[in-house]
Amino acid sequence: MASYIRSNAWNTGGTFDNPDLLWYAKGVGAMMTRPLNDRNSWWFFAAIHGQYLPGTSNKQPGFPGWQAIPAAPAVPTRPLPTQPDMDTFWDQCQHQSWYFPPWHRGYLIALEGQIRKAVIALGGPSNWALPYWNYLGSDNQYEIPPAFTQPTLPDGKTPNPLFVNARYGPNNDGNIFIPVPPVSLACMSNTVYTGSNAATPRPGFGGPQTGFSHDGAVSGNLESNPHNQVHVDVGGNSPDGTIWGLMSDPGIAALDPVFYLHHANIDRMWALWNVSGNSNPNASNWLSGPAAAGERAFVMPMADGSAWVYTPQEVDDLKKTNYTYDDLPTTANSAAASQTLAIRLQKLGAPTMAGQPPEPSKDTATESELVGTHDGALDIRSSGARAQVRLDPGVRAKLSNSLKAASLESPPDRAYLQLENVRGTRDAQKLQVFVNEHLAGTVALFGLRRASLRDHSHGGSGLTFELDITSLIDTLYVENALAADTLDVKILPSNAVDAEAPISVGRVSVYREKHE
Amino acid sequence: MTERQRARRRIAGAALLLSAVGWTILLAAPYTSPGLSFCWGGGAAGSWPSLRALLAVHPPASLAVNWVLMLIAMMVPTLVAPLLHVHQRSFRHRRGRSIVLFAIGYGAAWILAGVVLTSVHLMLSVSAPQSLWPAAAAALLALLWQCSPAKQLCLNRSHNHSELAAFGLAADRAALGFGLTHGLWCIGSCWALMLVPMLLVHGHTLAMAAVTVLMIAERLEGPRPLRWQLRGLGKLSRMIATQARPVRSRLPQAGMAKAG
Repeated sequence: MASYIRSNAWNTGGTFDNPDLLWYAKGVGAMMTRPLNDRNSWWFFAAIHGQYLPGTSNKQPGFPGWQAIPAAPAVPTRPLPTQPDMDTFWDQCQHQSWYFPPWHRGYLIALEGQIRKAVIALGGPSNWALPYWNYLGSDNQYEIPPAFTQPTLPDGKTPNPLFVNARYGPNNDGNIFIPVPPVSLACMSNTVYTGSNAATPRPGFGGPQTGFSHDGAVSGNLESNPHNQVHVDVGGNSPDGTIWGLMSDPGIAALDPVFYLHHANIDRMWALWNVSGNSNPNASNWLSGPAAAGERAFVMPMADGSAWVYTPQEVDDLKKTNYTYDDLPTTANSAAASQTLAIRLQKLGAPTMAGQPPEPSKDTATESELVGTHDGALDIRSSGARAQVRLDPGVRAKLSNSLKAASLESPPDRAYLQLENVRGTRDAQKLQVFVNEHLAGTVALFGLRRASLRDHSHGGSGLTFELDITSLIDTLYVENALAADTLDVKILPSNAVDAEAPISVGRVSVYREKHE
Repeated sequence: MTERQRARRRIAGAALLLSAVGWTILLAAPYTSPGLSFCWGGGAAGSWPSLRALLAVHPPASLAVNWVLMLIAMMVPTLVAPLLHVHQRSFRHRRGRSIVLFAIGYGAAWILAGVVLTSVHLMLSVSAPQSLWPAAAAALLALLWQCSPAKQLCLNRSHNHSELAAFGLAADRAALGFGLTHGLWCIGSCWALMLVPMLLVHGHTLAMAAVTVLMIAERLEGPRPLRWQLRGLGKLSRMIATQARPVRSRLPQAGMAKAG
């Protein structure tokens, strides 16, 4: 039986009338009074996710260096903790990795415990739990709960610790909301955690198999949308374009109190995905975490002064934790992977639906093959960019033949458009990608700047985005338009791009993925 | 296991097999230090033998073959990640060709490095035959280089896998260029380490094996900030340690280990 129940932040209008938010604000305020080198401080916890502090190897000469962040909050840059503390705890966040969901779950458990202790010390409820922001919920929940936008607490004089100056929103005007779409629940129809099948585009719901991945290359489907998109939408860019919002960059994101409500929602979606009958990996290298392979351990400072070393196996089921969510169904609602395939086969005009559909949770991809590319780098400027992806006739024929011969027992190929080695200097940007003038998808560039740094943990290779264009290719096939030699790809940025520092795409390519 | 993991496993298996072949040949025909063999060839103790006499005992062709075998045995296991990159970014029908071109570029860089390193080796063999000092000095130099930010820079660049063209001559140039570039950063990272077994009068093969383990181990680490630090065996030793002793872990409600 869970001791704590996480509830919707929009209860009672998302204002300070919601006691979860009022006490969260007071708890955050208490943590903010502690010094940077205190493991229980707000600042120390933000640095666990990532940091750009002077005196560390992540230092930045200007923004987003922590010394250049405009108040509020007034971010301290001294005193730094001991080197062992920094090496043990800081810069841990797992991104572009199958460790993304479990690492963040442990992070929230630790932060929630810290806030609860502070809340109790201030005379608040002993069962306080972290609320979640369900921006994909009904009515106006796509807007940030109003408690985060008030300059003061209800007393009218105490500064509101939830209020952040550098939070600009999707239109860069301080109006914080989540545009739905492109933000969506699409990942919830996936049935494979790592891998792909008829219902799941790669790299899967939870992310690609990696080691310890403070920066990686390809985001999992939950991470890609809604996680990355919400980060970039909330953060945005300042109206004059000189800086970007805290939430837009992993090295400053956890300074914004709304970060934890966003991640509570991501955590809730993972729990909901499991309750719906989907399984987490059972591979030992996921269950045991990266420390079992000689890499850094996941470790959190807890409210009682201890250091909690944890593995994914210990947090892969809410029954193993001390909390739950207020809206999780109690019975499994099995995902409809076979329905997805059946609908696709119908579109392709498959002659028969007889046969045994594959096991819904099985990764059925057997091989991946390049179909075509736009060779040469592509710079994305404010006006966008355009590329002609040249298809190899032989591989294109294989793709067509797979669609032609599709059946339940011979699933058709999936197809992906890849933007490879994407590099840039600013994360607060989304790219709309069109194939033959049809929207193929929207990607958020959360993590781009760090992945582009040559001496950072990703070696400067940049990010790679995989857009599932299976449905689009099916349509081209049905319309007899897949025989063309090229695909037209258009990329439009959501914000102006610095003319001196365009976003570069190393290569645009199309892949087919064969399934059994 | 995902499709990508299966591809990685196939490439790693092939790389280890090739390396094993290299090691087998090297072990079947043990290496003889030029300095040592020259003395066997008649150099009087204390005299200064000529380079020509040394090359008569160790003809360039033999030195070149030995160098290539060393590269295959020691370096191929470090190439799994870039080979997987070439494999995945190439058309299926061009994968073999692109991998061969990558290997040519990579090998060409190392053969040029071999000319320089072997020349240094020969000169030291002539000037200080049977001496342990050159190897000791190389070991000190290797230790210094191993800890330097410059070494980290080379390792970081080795992790950078950039875009590759896929069609026609551009694809060939890209694969060749990637191999050459990767080879140059690899040389920057490993040149000092390679000198140590070369200059050893005895224990050459054992030192080669140790250096191979170190080079594989340091590639298990990801890119890092540039700074002076001891690097190389950290992750590998932690892997071995954690296999022997499971990670300490407890649930929050079960009580925590006290922070250190």
